[in-house]
Amino acid sequence: MENKKKSSLFSVMSQYRELPLVLIFVLLIIVVSVIVPGFVKNSYINILKGASIDLVMACGMLCVLLIGSIDISVAGLLAFTGSLTGMLMRDGYISSIPMMFVVAILVGAVFGAVSGVLMGWGRVLPIIATLGMNYIARALIPMEWLLGLNKINPTDLTPEFRGFILKNFIGLPILVWIAVCVTLLTWLFLRYTRTGRNIYAVGSNGVAAQVRGVHINRIKLIAHTICGATAGLAGVMWTGFYNAIEKGSATGEEMFVIAACVLGGVAVTGGYGKVSGVVIGALMIATINSAIPQVFISNTMISELIKGILILLAILLNAMLQRMAAKQDLLGRNI
Amino acid sequence: MEKKKGIKSLLTWEMLLVVLLIVLWAVFSLKDQSNIAAGQYKKAAFGLKQLIPGLQPYMLYGFMTLGMMMVLAMGDIDISVGATGALSASVLFVLYGKFTAGGMDAKLALALSIIAGLVTGTLCGTLNGVLITKFKELFAMIITLSTMLFFRGMCYLLLGGNTLVYKGDDVFNSIKVLSNNVKIAGIKFPVILFWFLGFAIVFYIILHHTTGGRKLFAVGTNAVTSRYSGIKVDRIKIIVFAVTGLMSAVTAIFYVASASSGSIRADAMEGYEMYAIAAAVLGGFSTDGGKGNVIGVIISMIIFGLLKKGLGTVFSLVDSTVNLSVGVVLILSVLLPNIVNDISKARKLKAQHDAIEKEHAQA
Repeated sequence: MENKKKSSLFSVMSQYRELPLVLIFVLLIIVVSVIVPGFVKNSYINILKGASIDLVMACGMLCVLLIGSIDISVAGLLAFTGSLTGMLMRDGYISSIPMMFVVAILVGAVFGAVSGVLMGWGRVLPIIATLGMNYIARALIPMEWLLGLNKINPTDLTPEFRGFILKNFIGLPILVWIAVCVTLLTWLFLRYTRTGRNIYAVGSNGVAAQVRGVHINRIKLIAHTICGATAGLAGVMWTGFYNAIEKGSATGEEMFVIAACVLGGVAVTGGYGKVSGVVIGALMIATINSAIPQVFISNTMISELIKGILILLAILLNAMLQRMAAKQDLLGRNI
Repeated sequence: MEKKKGIKSLLTWEMLLVVLLIVLWAVFSLKDQSNIAAGQYKKAAFGLKQLIPGLQPYMLYGFMTLGMMMVLAMGDIDISVGATGALSASVLFVLYGKFTAGGMDAKLALALSIIAGLVTGTLCGTLNGVLITKFKELFAMIITLSTMLFFRGMCYLLLGGNTLVYKGDDVFNSIKVLSNNVKIAGIKFPVILFWFLGFAIVFYIILHHTTGGRKLFAVGTNAVTSRYSGIKVDRIKIIVFAVTGLMSAVTAIFYVASASSGSIRADAMEGYEMYAIAAAVLGGFSTDGGKGNVIGVIISMIIFGLLKKGLGTVFSLVDSTVNLSVGVVLILSVLLPNIVNDISKARKLKAQHDAIEKEHAQA
């Protein structure tokens, strides 16, 4: 922008859409800290742990939302890959931990690629393709000829794997480190690779991107493959974290993943969204999750309500602040 | 929709659904006959007699689907319908308990709590509509996503983690009339089927034969143009979402009636929104908005019922197979027409190309 004379808070806000969210996040932490002294110090590990799985999936979801698509099959993929790898471990096909991750990521990526192909070349609407994939992935778990699985119990997993995810590594559990790595990789990918920039291009103006020589279908395929891969990774993380998985695991988790992205300022129409925003969004949901029991005397029933209200309010507040910022920005231009 | 002439008028989505219905019917019947021939069982396990009572659980989603289809026709989506229904049912249960504990006549209490349930659903829908029209940048998907969490939370607040039951309460259990069967010509017809068809006819008339309904499709096709041609887009949106909430509450009442022991839990009706979306999409409503026909939705409800009954009894497959087939049918129902379209377009282009080449050759 040319005229940067009035660098008021609002004009800064209109440039960095994540700023209002940071304000809301800080406000939330201050309020909780006043009510529960030492909240941040005591439960930051829990917040990070709680945010990790959602954050990994949210990174994939970000890529998908950026091209103006959506993926509601992530929770189904999580359950499927988690069950598949858990079963392979139970039956002794896999014993090494890295192999678990590789298999899960590959299987997730294949599922994601299928929805990507359906959307790109088959022109099926994203919500329908992924809704169908969600049904299929969940239904495949108890199928006799495939997995025939009811539940993976802690005893089905090798002792090394059971302890692995929560093992401490330089002060933080490995679970958190995985999330950090995925976040960094996504950031690098979206910012510094040609494909990453093309994802933004397709989302903000598909026709223009196509004219410029971007293969839209290929970009769609890549974005959905990434999303599926992160969901697969999240499947192993889930199994490691809870030491159990079944076909009903993580039902409705896709909603929290999308909510984390939206809270982070990602535009559902595509073209706008930053990894930093998604990180704050995921952290915020995890903070709400972990703060509620401490503030409201651990009544899980009320906590569900408060969670709903807080997420709704945060999304609305974020929208209003951005709207105000945009208005001030327009006024500042003196048209 | 403009009227197409000749054979093309038969090539509508509804006709394709009817064909699909007939094909499925034929497959299941043949398999049934071969099962009998193989001596697996003596009497036919698949026929109208078995199918029609089996439709009952699908009619439950049916009411929601009627609401969902309007929202889809408008180009929006409502993910909160399941939670809205659960909240309505919770309000109904809790209020009935409060009223009767206060010494009110049980029948009056039941009537009042049913009305309260319906009002709750409508209010939830109105809240969705108002938020969606006020925060246009957030889209219906996000708003209803967060209200879904909110409504679900209200259920937990009202019911706690308990299952609420009124066992042996004859007045309350009189609501079960709604899940009865009526015997006509030796076939058990569930009462709910008639209710669903009644509602569907009303929606058909409203959507396809009133200005309000046509306006709704106009909004779905192009909201901006509609606004400039004098349609009050916001008002229509709020009304549609309110009606969708009302339909979720209607679903809730039938859910209470058909729940095995007249009980409710806070996680009731989870995932119903997905069934409703699936049924509406198979019925020909696109999430892009602007198209669809109520008749298609009715047929798609029957197809889902048929699939479940057929796969379950004739092929003796488990529940998850049914879910699998729902997923596959959902994807194929959108994918196949697209492919057919592509092929016919390519052929047309090729014909044009050939014609031009011929002209060139002659010249």
